[in-house]
Amino acid sequence: MKIVQLFQKFSPRLFKKKEEVKHMRMSSVLLIGYRNIAINRTRSLLTIGGVSIGIGVITFLISLGFGVQAMVIRDVTKNNPTDIIDVSNENLENFVVLNNETIGKIKNIPGVKSVEVSADVGGKFINGEAQTDAILYGVTPGYVTLSNMNIEGISAGDFTASAGIVVTPRLAAMLGFEKPQDALGREVEYTAVVTKDIVDPNAENPAEQTSKKVKIVGIISDQSKTDAVYAYTMLETLKTQYNITAGQRGKILIGNIEKIDLVRAQVEQLGLVTESVVDTVNDINSFFSIVRIVLIVFGTIIMSISAMGMMNTLSVSLLQRTKEVGILKALGAKRTDIFKMFIFEAILISFSGGAIGLLGGYGVAKGLNAIVNLVSKRYGISAADFVLVPNIFIIAIVTFIVVLGISTGLFPARRASKIHALEALRYE
Amino acid sequence: MLDLQKENEIAIKVSGIKKNFTVGGREIPILYGIDFEIKKGEFVLLVGPSGCGKSTLLHIIYGLEAPTEGTVYIGGEDEWAFSKNWRANFRNDNIGFIPQQPFWIKSLTVIENIAIPAVIAGKTFHEGIKIAAKLIELVGMSEWSNHRPYDLSGGQQQRIALARSLLLDPKFLIADEPTGNLDQKAGEQLMELLQNISQRFQITILMVTHNTEQYKFGTRIIQMVDGKIISDTLNKHSYQAIKDDLNLSENSNEAKKSK
Ligand SMILES: Nc1ncnc2c1ncn2[C@@H]1O[C@H](COP(=O)(O)OP(=O)(O)OP(=O)(O)O)[C@@H](O)[C@H]1O
Ligand SMILES: [Mg+2]
Repeated sequence: MKIVQLFQKFSPRLFKKKEEVKHMRMSSVLLIGYRNIAINRTRSLLTIGGVSIGIGVITFLISLGFGVQAMVIRDVTKNNPTDIIDVSNENLENFVVLNNETIGKIKNIPGVKSVEVSADVGGKFINGEAQTDAILYGVTPGYVTLSNMNIEGISAGDFTASAGIVVTPRLAAMLGFEKPQDALGREVEYTAVVTKDIVDPNAENPAEQTSKKVKIVGIISDQSKTDAVYAYTMLETLKTQYNITAGQRGKILIGNIEKIDLVRAQVEQLGLVTESVVDTVNDINSFFSIVRIVLIVFGTIIMSISAMGMMNTLSVSLLQRTKEVGILKALGAKRTDIFKMFIFEAILISFSGGAIGLLGGYGVAKGLNAIVNLVSKRYGISAADFVLVPNIFIIAIVTFIVVLGISTGLFPARRASKIHALEALRYE
Repeated sequence: MLDLQKENEIAIKVSGIKKNFTVGGREIPILYGIDFEIKKGEFVLLVGPSGCGKSTLLHIIYGLEAPTEGTVYIGGEDEWAFSKNWRANFRNDNIGFIPQQPFWIKSLTVIENIAIPAVIAGKTFHEGIKIAAKLIELVGMSEWSNHRPYDLSGGQQQRIALARSLLLDPKFLIADEPTGNLDQKAGEQLMELLQNISQRFQITILMVTHNTEQYKFGTRIIQMVDGKIISDTLNKHSYQAIKDDLNLSENSNEAKKSK
């Protein structure tokens, strides 16, 4: 034995001259994994089914959860943009009204773009025999725009330039008009009960509370309440008729949305009460985050069941394939080859289950949406989209699928990679 | 490296191999020092009673079971001086192997199973199957290409195993009782095939058998008893002569035991 040979014998690691280790290709590893899944059809279907049902149920629930949330917020903010603050003097202790002085102060707050006012005047409408109590709102032209009013029979621009009133369909009916359209162009009488606070204190001749003639120029429909009874006119008209120059409520348009909280705080310091759709949106969001936590807990339970199913399948697969692994090792396969075979089989199962579940859950939710819309169309309710899968959820699910595959595959793959070739060749 | 002059001739050199197994904390010797050289192109039959250590010896030569002492040179390489991965590559490259029971990847077809050594070597299934197609023809099993291996008979499976062992053009073939589970006729056919391949491709074969009828196929017969070689005979193509020869030594062995 030469020295070199001796050396080789006792320090094999130093002599890695032919140590270029060959490995199986990824395509081969995947093919074997796929074939193994395909040949154990029932078992694989059950396992993949378990994963896809788990992922599917979660996707279905989450997509509905997010979708309904988005739909509700869409609905709430449709007529109430988030950059508008509603102010009112519901604070009864100090009776602040939106007169020129208060409006001036509000306009000076940084971030405020414009302030629009509404004066509420209670009173009685009379049309011949018919009469009814109703509130008449006197608003500034900008208020009409900010409230996004839905007026028929007259354009918003013409209404703001007119001295007439717009009434709700219900009010028109109560005033004896068969159809709301019949009220257009008709004159009715109005008797106002004016509170002193909103009347110009410097007016030369304070108006008496007599009845005035007002002309109906349009019909205003209220989406949220079909039986609402009220009317709108221009504040300018109330000024000429009753000397009303101030209002009890108003709308503030914010120029810089980031300042909204500051503006609200300063307006409230003036003794006014503020309301913003942001409050409602926050309430909705916090409600839905509770819903989501419940869904996550529920989903975790479902997924642990799927994961256990996968573990079971993979362990059985490992036990059945001890001899296969042994012969592969005997024929020259390395530990990493075997490890990859098992881990990719697990990933293959979790991926196909995940993909089916994700698409299935989304598809079922979409289908449900379509059916609901079809039914609601029959009843005259407008269609709404209440299914939404946010990107973050997709990322979370894909991450989960990968983690599921790796974590359930890791143990069997490590066990398999340690199987010795002789375990196949030794026979009892 | 072995002596350069001899290297051309000697395919396998087994040198001072001892093997102990630890059973229940006790070391039990199984092989007591095995020495022999196999020359290129020889068809060596390893025979001996059950439990005498034939499989253990084959596994040591094939690089699966580490010897307690001694070493094995194959193609001039001191097999046990290298790492496990090196041996795995070396086996894959140079040695064909036929186990007593051929094990298959159940989910793959016959031809895909034959292609496995190529796949392990890093080739695609496609490339492996191309080579496999030639070998399945060589063993006369082409029409079974797309069947599942476990659907075939024992004899057919061993032919397939032979094709698999030959896939990567090995210089050596190691077979552990490939005919053990076959009937007489299927065994003979496989032996003829092996003999034929050995001669045609100059492949060195080391094979374990129990069947004395098959002695005529080997060029040399090594007999083992209780972890030792008790005879090493060249086959003079006289079957009866070898048989008598072996019977003699077996008898003498039994005689020794009874004493
Ligand atoms: N891993 C092991 N641990 C302990 N004992 C072992 C182990 N492997 C083999 N043996 C023992 O070594 C002896 C030789 O076994 P081996 O398989 O080499 O015999 P064999 O000659 O091939 O027999 P057969 O003809 O029945 O195949 C047996 O007694 C066996 O029980
Ligand atoms: Mg044996």
